[in-house]
Amino acid sequence: MGDVKLENVTKRYEDVTAVDNMNIQIHDGEFVCLVGPSGCGKSTTMEMVAGLTMPTEGTVHIAGREVTNLPPKDRGVAMVFQNIALFPHMDVYDNISFGLRLRNFEKDEIDRRVDKAAEVVQLEGMLDRMPDEMSGGQRQRVAIARAIVRQPDVFLMDEPLANLDAKLRVHMRTELQRLHKDLETTVIYVTHDQAEAMTMSDRIAIIDGGQLQQIDPPLECYNQPANLFVAGFIGSPSMNFVEGEVTENGFTSEYMDVEFDPSNYGVSAGDKVTLGVRPEDIYPAESGRSISSPTGEIRTKTDVIEPMGDEIFIYLLLSEEVETDLEDPAASNQLLISVPPDSDVEEDQDMSVVLDRNKIHLFDTESGQAIEHSLVASPAASGASGTSGAESDD
Amino acid sequence: MSNVDETRTPGIDESHERVSYRSRQQFWDLIESPYVVHAVLAFAMMTVLVPFGWELITSFKANSAIYNLNYLPANPTLQTYYNVLIGEGYWKAILNSLLISTSTTVIVLALATPAGYAFSRFRFRFDNLLFIGVIFSRLFPPIGLVVPYYQIMARVGLLDDLLGVTIAQVYLWLPLMIYIMRNFFISIPEELDESARVDGCTRLQAFRKVALPLARPGIAACGILTFLYSWREFLFSLIVTSTLDAMPISVAVFKFVGDVSVSWASMAAASILAIIPTVFIVVFFQRYIVTGLTSGALKG
Repeated sequence: MGDVKLENVTKRYEDVTAVDNMNIQIHDGEFVCLVGPSGCGKSTTMEMVAGLTMPTEGTVHIAGREVTNLPPKDRGVAMVFQNIALFPHMDVYDNISFGLRLRNFEKDEIDRRVDKAAEVVQLEGMLDRMPDEMSGGQRQRVAIARAIVRQPDVFLMDEPLANLDAKLRVHMRTELQRLHKDLETTVIYVTHDQAEAMTMSDRIAIIDGGQLQQIDPPLECYNQPANLFVAGFIGSPSMNFVEGEVTENGFTSEYMDVEFDPSNYGVSAGDKVTLGVRPEDIYPAESGRSISSPTGEIRTKTDVIEPMGDEIFIYLLLSEEVETDLEDPAASNQLLISVPPDSDVEEDQDMSVVLDRNKIHLFDTESGQAIEHSLVASPAASGASGTSGAESDD
Repeated sequence: MSNVDETRTPGIDESHERVSYRSRQQFWDLIESPYVVHAVLAFAMMTVLVPFGWELITSFKANSAIYNLNYLPANPTLQTYYNVLIGEGYWKAILNSLLISTSTTVIVLALATPAGYAFSRFRFRFDNLLFIGVIFSRLFPPIGLVVPYYQIMARVGLLDDLLGVTIAQVYLWLPLMIYIMRNFFISIPEELDESARVDGCTRLQAFRKVALPLARPGIAACGILTFLYSWREFLFSLIVTSTLDAMPISVAVFKFVGDVSVSWASMAAASILAIIPTVFIVVFFQRYIVTGLTSGALKG
């Protein structure tokens, strides 16, 4: 009933294409996050679902009917905005009941629904307050109550937690999940915070440059990113990338090699590829941690160390001639790893690390598309996993 | 014993400064002192109040007593007021001014509010050009437009007619009010309109139920300004009116300047009568003018 389908939707503003041929199908009751960097087109996509922006091309379907040219009021959607957008001249009751009053609901029915909505978002006893007498969290609850009171087919939420402080944001995140569980209504949620997307959604749609990069469950996006952008965007800190090329024996780059049989992965010698590995999938060799399929040791030098409390981030230099680039942790000449908080590490100390072959991703450098998400299959020469050697060449 | 020079600012090397930081600060502290500020304000107030007081005193004198060297009237009288209002029939001029200013205010608000909203919200072809055109129409010196305006009014038979004067006032103040209203609407977040539309409003309903109530301070400010401006407007009203049938008080005051003499006391009394409504409006509604005109600047 609350399913949403975007078919070949494009939005152009004069010479800028904000959304480029977007195809998304969202199922009834699903919680889908649209994530991406600022200006990627995620909010425009949501506005086209809401009817606040008309697509240049393509069609929008909600609950099985085409709504491409319908005004927002006739689409059966409710929206929560980033700046909350409560009507400042109305009290909480009037704000929540606004949509119902417009539709000429009976007074009793309005009261019943407003009370129910206020109860759901825990706003009982505050119905006669004005928005400027409320805290940020309370206002956000009013905005949510205003959305749920109409019992829409689809909730649209455009970065609704972005203006709240960190603690309240985490709290409201949980509340929204609880609400979704209770209401079982389709939610489309726009955010640029990938942690929000990971924790809340059934599926994440990652958008960049107006194009859909991947739409999958959070862990699938994390473990099997469709391309370099998704791999870099999902996960904090970001995935490490090392550019190199395929040889007869596997992967080689200026700083490190990883052996594998190219024929097992549909690549051949000479192909330009990028190797990606997440910080938590790199281990200090001396940690003694048993990994089923480790690569050979890679000699590095520790640079900046960032203790986070529950873990420590270490920037490792693959070559002595370069410096750590904190702006771009994914730079090819460095690795960012995360180690347990009790690890004994110091700056400028030599450290050998191994990568977990199960968790190594291979991307086509030119197209950015993922080729493989695990290099655990047998290396070409030895045929035995865990014995391949990866050497730093510093 | 400390060997630090205590007259110097710690940590600041003043040797390269032509005028020391300390001296400059002392100068600005003096400029900002309450004595200097109050003296400047008192002087500014005198420049406003002295002519007004003089006029008020003059209005209580008989015409014959104007040239006496006393500052205060020897025999204060309201006779001049009576002569002006009843004898000369200037109550009609005040009524004309009320009618002209009120209808101008209503028409200007009815047009400037939706126009300002449209310019703040809608993007359409040549929207900026159109907006510049609106402002541009107000950049002409009014005196340059008086003659064509007179000819048009003569052609359509609206000379010495309240409607003719009102049309002139609307022309004069509409562009400025569109500009003010547009800026005011820009300060109201567009998400509020969008939120109303998603909740079930048409565009017009969103304007009427959400943007319009929130724009009340701006509308009040525009209304007050339009009323005050059109109340005191002189040039266009002078050109198109010749009798008290349509003449506003701002022009009627001028009629006491004769070919050979000036009826100073009558003119003073008429002037006092003319400013009473404006003083009333400013005193009671000034907070609307301030909030209406500054809220855009603060929020935007």
